[in-house]
Amino acid sequence: MSVDRLHELLDAAVKLELATIPPYLCALYSIRPGGNEEATLVIRSIVVEEMLHMILSANVLNAIGGRPRVAGKENAPHYPHELPNGIVMDLQPFSAASVEAFLRVENPQHPPETSDSAPATLMGRRTELHRSSARSVSAGPTTIGAFYGEILDELTTVASEIGERALFCGDPARQISGDFYYAGGGAPVAVTDLASARRALAEVVEQGEGEMASPYDEDGDLAHFYRLEQLKYDRSYLRSDTVGTPTGPSVGVDFRAVYPMIPNPREADYADPDLRAASATANRAWIRLLEQTDNAFDGAPSNLIPAVHTMFRLRDAMVVLLANPLPDSDGHHAGPTFEWEPSAPVRARASR
Amino acid sequence: MTGEAEHDVVVVGAGVAGSLVAKQLTRAGFRVLVIEAGPATAWTFDGYLSHLQTFYTATGKGPESAWPPAAAAPQPDTRDLRAGDGYFVQDGPLKYGSTYTRLQGGSTLHWLGVSLRMLPEDFELRSRYGVGRDWPLDYPSLEPYYRAAEREIGVAADVADQSHLGVEFAAGYDYPMQRIPPSYSDTVLAAAVDGMQVTSGADRVTLKVRSYPAARNSIPRGDYHPVGAVDERPKGQRLARDLGQRCAGNTSCTPICPIQAKYNAGKTLAQADGTKLQVIAQAVASKINVDAVTGEVTGVEYQRYDDPSSPRHTVHLARGRAYVLAAHAIENTKLMLSSGLAGASGTLGRNLMDHPSIYGWGLAKAPVGAYRGPLSTSGIDDLRGGAFRAQHAAFRVDIGNDGWRATTGAPDTAVADAVLTQGLFGADLRAHLTATLPRHVRFSLNVEQLPSMTNRVSIDPRQVDKLGNPRPVINYDIDEYTLAGMAAAKSFYQGVFRRAGIDDRTDQEHAAWFPTVTYQGDMFRYHGMGHFAGTHVMGDDASLSVVDTDQRCWEHRNLFLVGSGSFPTMGTSNPTLTMAALALRTADRLTAELSG
Repeated sequence: MSVDRLHELLDAAVKLELATIPPYLCALYSIRPGGNEEATLVIRSIVVEEMLHMILSANVLNAIGGRPRVAGKENAPHYPHELPNGIVMDLQPFSAASVEAFLRVENPQHPPETSDSAPATLMGRRTELHRSSARSVSAGPTTIGAFYGEILDELTTVASEIGERALFCGDPARQISGDFYYAGGGAPVAVTDLASARRALAEVVEQGEGEMASPYDEDGDLAHFYRLEQLKYDRSYLRSDTVGTPTGPSVGVDFRAVYPMIPNPREADYADPDLRAASATANRAWIRLLEQTDNAFDGAPSNLIPAVHTMFRLRDAMVVLLANPLPDSDGHHAGPTFEWEPSAPVRARASR
Repeated sequence: MTGEAEHDVVVVGAGVAGSLVAKQLTRAGFRVLVIEAGPATAWTFDGYLSHLQTFYTATGKGPESAWPPAAAAPQPDTRDLRAGDGYFVQDGPLKYGSTYTRLQGGSTLHWLGVSLRMLPEDFELRSRYGVGRDWPLDYPSLEPYYRAAEREIGVAADVADQSHLGVEFAAGYDYPMQRIPPSYSDTVLAAAVDGMQVTSGADRVTLKVRSYPAARNSIPRGDYHPVGAVDERPKGQRLARDLGQRCAGNTSCTPICPIQAKYNAGKTLAQADGTKLQVIAQAVASKINVDAVTGEVTGVEYQRYDDPSSPRHTVHLARGRAYVLAAHAIENTKLMLSSGLAGASGTLGRNLMDHPSIYGWGLAKAPVGAYRGPLSTSGIDDLRGGAFRAQHAAFRVDIGNDGWRATTGAPDTAVADAVLTQGLFGADLRAHLTATLPRHVRFSLNVEQLPSMTNRVSIDPRQVDKLGNPRPVINYDIDEYTLAGMAAAKSFYQGVFRRAGIDDRTDQEHAAWFPTVTYQGDMFRYHGMGHFAGTHVMGDDASLSVVDTDQRCWEHRNLFLVGSGSFPTMGTSNPTLTMAALALRTADRLTAELSG
């Protein structure tokens, strides 16, 4: 048990939360304007909570003198991306398969993919699986909830070993407060001691697996897992419904009213120069966003204010890609690649 | 039409004033019935989105374009102003340029969100400057209610920007949210204008571009939680409330904020205690019944309709212990008059005011980023107060972020002009547009208007709507005091443009159509700001006013007329915040009285 070990675990936690964001964004912005309103609301609501979870984990890491890293090739997420519990997050459009993946992220009890093979809709485009560092650093096979449980146990142990003061030695000015992150899935918790660290991580776990105790939270709102189930079954939950069987009216899911983004694209797939330029624009915005976030985690939290503008730029660039058909690709559309360092096009034409 | 009162309080109108009263009273434990003339479509998230679609598909994008009225509850529309054939019977001599919305949520559905306090001197115009009327309330007595109103409607501003012209804030107070960041054009203009001195009467005034308080969500202070979209669905399903918790800089505050980051009255009504609240939409209050002996109100008749496209309706009676008319300055008055309750003072319907406003527009030397962000984020407030008000009207300057949209119809008309009259196309057309559109600057100069007995709303039995309810007959004029204010406003913006190197392109002849007035040889096109005030002014003398300081009707002691109709004067501030503060004050009084 050591502080170094905690740094390693919390660093992995920050990266874990970050890695969930691009798949949700692909689903969100692949929805064509003017439909799937409930799905849009649900996915948006989840993705902002994942942002909050990343902030909360970073606050805990900063509080114990760590340095959360999200920028750089070795820190940015790569796709397809395998989370703890064998959950694979692909970059893919809003679809039955993406809803299944999201259900698994929200609830470890949700059945895993039934066969060894990836969903057919991925068309064999799940290669080079990138594993979450949460898998490699955790003590054993784990779920996301169990991973946070391990962190909480470690915090308590180390605090008792070296003293709470000594553990929580981080500069309070490095905390992300409500002045820099607000109205996004909840309020951040400034972490200064064991109690506030527990509060911060409890928020992460409660918004995730902790919801499983009851479909409704303390405000009476349906938890995300069940909102995703409403999308899966295209039925809303009535108060009288039993878990797993919503019987209310349709929530307006239409998987066809979606841009059919090619799964797990690479910028190198885009031979068309205009598409490649659009992809480069999206990746630049993504990289900028990670750099601003990284700086925000490194003592300059005000970087999150201009990062909001970068998020709009990223969205706009994503929508350009998603709305464009990809030539010679069975009607698939282009999509964002979320690559830190896009490789050269594989199909670059040889000059004659 | 018999039996005990089912409700403690009957509120007519689900706009900002009525919603605040309903929220406060239900939370104090009273049973409140709200009857609303228009449909409740904006009350559900899907319904709000359908209004957004209405706006997207509308050919004209005026303030009403997202909010078409029901057949049974017609409303004024800016598009009807020129022909003069709209809901208002415009009886002259001038046209009254403002409009309002008869839907659940009221005109806050399409307001800009400017939430200025009135100046202390605005409450004492008669004593200080010998013009207008004094209020029976002063600024210090309203200040706690201003604070409460700023929290209720969620105002973003910094006290440091707003403490001037005598406006004081309680020690340690700041607005619930930080100010909305100034636009790039605000900062460019501030760099050129701040510190500039102008002469106004005998005063030298130093100008400063100031961010103004806006009811749009921003970075919260302390424990304040920005209130997102209204999503009234069965409990458990209200997901859209996460949306709109921060302004995202969309450019359509008016007529519709696409994400509800801007306040609308539905947000307040959604915070009422639902177990004590009953809302009946599509219910037009048509008559107030009073006891002939005591003058007390015994009930409000209303016409309930099922189909918003049809005038078919049934008549019902709402009964309570107290009654609050919060239906708008015009509708409150209309209802009183058509119920035969004109009163003895002869002031009901009179002292109708607005902020008749003029535009100045020009071309900046360099791009200022026009057509981006909230329609406006800053203004110049320095001519809102001062000794010159003994001679002419004060005015407030809104600095637009929306280029010449309102004044000439740009960018559409700019494209049409470049193609059709300048013969540009292709690369030349693109170069021309990118060289000019981002440099468009627009000021709106909102001029104070004093109360006048001849500016009034009345009714005429021959002029009725489809339900047989009277249409408002408006008599309106703009007097010398306000005209001189317009002239001062014109020379003001010309001076500021010169100082900032903005090429004045104001062209009344080729501007978007608005009614005109002429003063000392100058023609002014004036537009309404939607700032209705007067009609049932408050006072401390029953022979000269309609309501007392609690907005209680002098002649009907269980009847309250709330809203900007109660304002004896309006100064230059947008009326919503003051109306909200007064509504909260009235709710306090009612709570105390009903508890007693």
